[in-house]
Amino acid sequence: MDRPIPIGTTVVMERTGETMEEMYVNMGPQHPSTHGVLRLMLKLDGEYIIDCIPYIGYLHRCHEKIGENRNYTQIIPYTDRLDYLASMSMNFGYVLAVERLMGQKIPERAEYMRVILAELQRIASHLIWLGTFGLDLGNFTIFMYCFREREMILDLFESVTGQRLNYSFYRIGGMPMDFPETFLTDCQVFLTWFKPRLPEYDAIMTDNILFQKRVQGVGISPPQVAVDYGLSGPMLRACGIKWDLRRNDPYSIYDRFEFDIPVFDTCDVWARYMVRRKEMEESVKIVEQALAQLPPGEVMAKMPKTIKPPAGQIYSRAESPRGEIGFYIISDGSPKPYRYKVRSPAYVNLSALPEMLKGCLVADCVAVLGSVDIVLGEVDR
Amino acid sequence: MPKCLSARLPWFEEMTPEEILGQLKQKIGDAITQSEVKGIEVRLTVKPEQSWEVCRLVRDIGFEYLNCISGADWMTHLEVVYDLSSLQHLNKVHLRVPVDRDNSVVRTVTDIWRGANWHERECYDLFGVRFDGHPDLRRILLPEDWVGYPLRKDYTDERLVPYTEYGMEEKLAKAEGEKAAPKDAKSLQPPAPAKPATA
Repeated sequence: MDRPIPIGTTVVMERTGETMEEMYVNMGPQHPSTHGVLRLMLKLDGEYIIDCIPYIGYLHRCHEKIGENRNYTQIIPYTDRLDYLASMSMNFGYVLAVERLMGQKIPERAEYMRVILAELQRIASHLIWLGTFGLDLGNFTIFMYCFREREMILDLFESVTGQRLNYSFYRIGGMPMDFPETFLTDCQVFLTWFKPRLPEYDAIMTDNILFQKRVQGVGISPPQVAVDYGLSGPMLRACGIKWDLRRNDPYSIYDRFEFDIPVFDTCDVWARYMVRRKEMEESVKIVEQALAQLPPGEVMAKMPKTIKPPAGQIYSRAESPRGEIGFYIISDGSPKPYRYKVRSPAYVNLSALPEMLKGCLVADCVAVLGSVDIVLGEVDR
Repeated sequence: MPKCLSARLPWFEEMTPEEILGQLKQKIGDAITQSEVKGIEVRLTVKPEQSWEVCRLVRDIGFEYLNCISGADWMTHLEVVYDLSSLQHLNKVHLRVPVDRDNSVVRTVTDIWRGANWHERECYDLFGVRFDGHPDLRRILLPEDWVGYPLRKDYTDERLVPYTEYGMEEKLAKAEGEKAAPKDAKSLQPPAPAKPATA
């Protein structure tokens, strides 16, 4: 869909034939569709956004400074609070970084457990995104549908970890305990319930002409811009670039499963919606395969009481529901990291927001922001 | 146009890390003070005056994706660390640029990767490294009126809970009970906060 007016003030001035003043409008920090506390300063020309300046940091919790003052095991609960909608994936990324630094192998069963939990978490995270995105656009039904299914995943997680949101369930060297006996059947029951629900979402969202009109051609980030900004995850795959760390830089045991990487090349909000929608199907496939292959055995490797990785440094990355979660750790051989840095996907994805908003209508701002799928806990750290 | 957008499959022209290092050394060898190949990663230490040129060259030989820019405080000097990778192959480049602690200035790479903008602002915010030529160098995570750079090692804050080793509290309590001297009890207090480093 072409925008009637190209970006830039001079054109608009020529059209109206009079000098127009630009207007600044604050969106947030207390705005229901900013998913937390994010302030956007929008520079408007009439109904069109000329520029946008995001202000972040309202949720800054000194994550990295605290990390430097805790030992390696004590950091795990803090990583939960990074992306509180996908705690398992954050745990996964962190323990993976430390294990790579130590050169630690973990038991086979623990690998499978990690993948099962991380993929269920991906479904849960995308469900929340889908629900709140529908809510942003005025579709309340999908919100109730998605939270119904997410609730089931949370029940599964509760039966495994005892927690419903911040699990802290991954350990350096494996998993703290095995699945409960009922988990495997419960998980199967959930998958059997969940698969027929996806066409229902299609009926209410994908095939909905109002929804399509609302999101198609909005918030375009061309592939060049996406690579330039370092976008990752569904944001990158919505630009037609087939890049998924689970496939392209396989970690854990992701190379043992068959799954597709959904790619759409329209670069707009619609493409981001479709990528996440299809990813849920692929995650279901991975969980099914992992459940079928789940081997018996130990879940925790033999680890020293105090974890002291050898001196060195590592940048380790993993695919969270929002994109590439990277941990940069410098170890000096002591029980706590010398430097601990988090490269959070939402932080990088959000930095490209002004680029996507330029030339949009104010009314589309919420749709574009929603499609980035930010979690401010992770952006502000 | 990035190469990854072409129709060719990934992995189409995989170079070994040694070849990448050789190419870099051939073109801009005098800027590299230290180099090492570790697995699929090329690790370089680069002079701060020529960091921009090296980044540009690394981008041009196929590392179009900037993973992150981080800082590190080594007490004697600060370090700006660039992690670069590609959407084409698995090789990585790990660039380290040592900068002076008191006068830390590096040329910005926002004109090479636009995504560097926020990474550099974060590094400025938490380490105080100034990026020369950055379009909008302001604090990003901390409030604008914050004093000091928190991730420098000499920065202290009384609100930060100090690290205690596993079982250390019990040991200290036991030692205190045995000696029961007020001098020892005093030593258990956390150290008085030093004056925060100022800009």
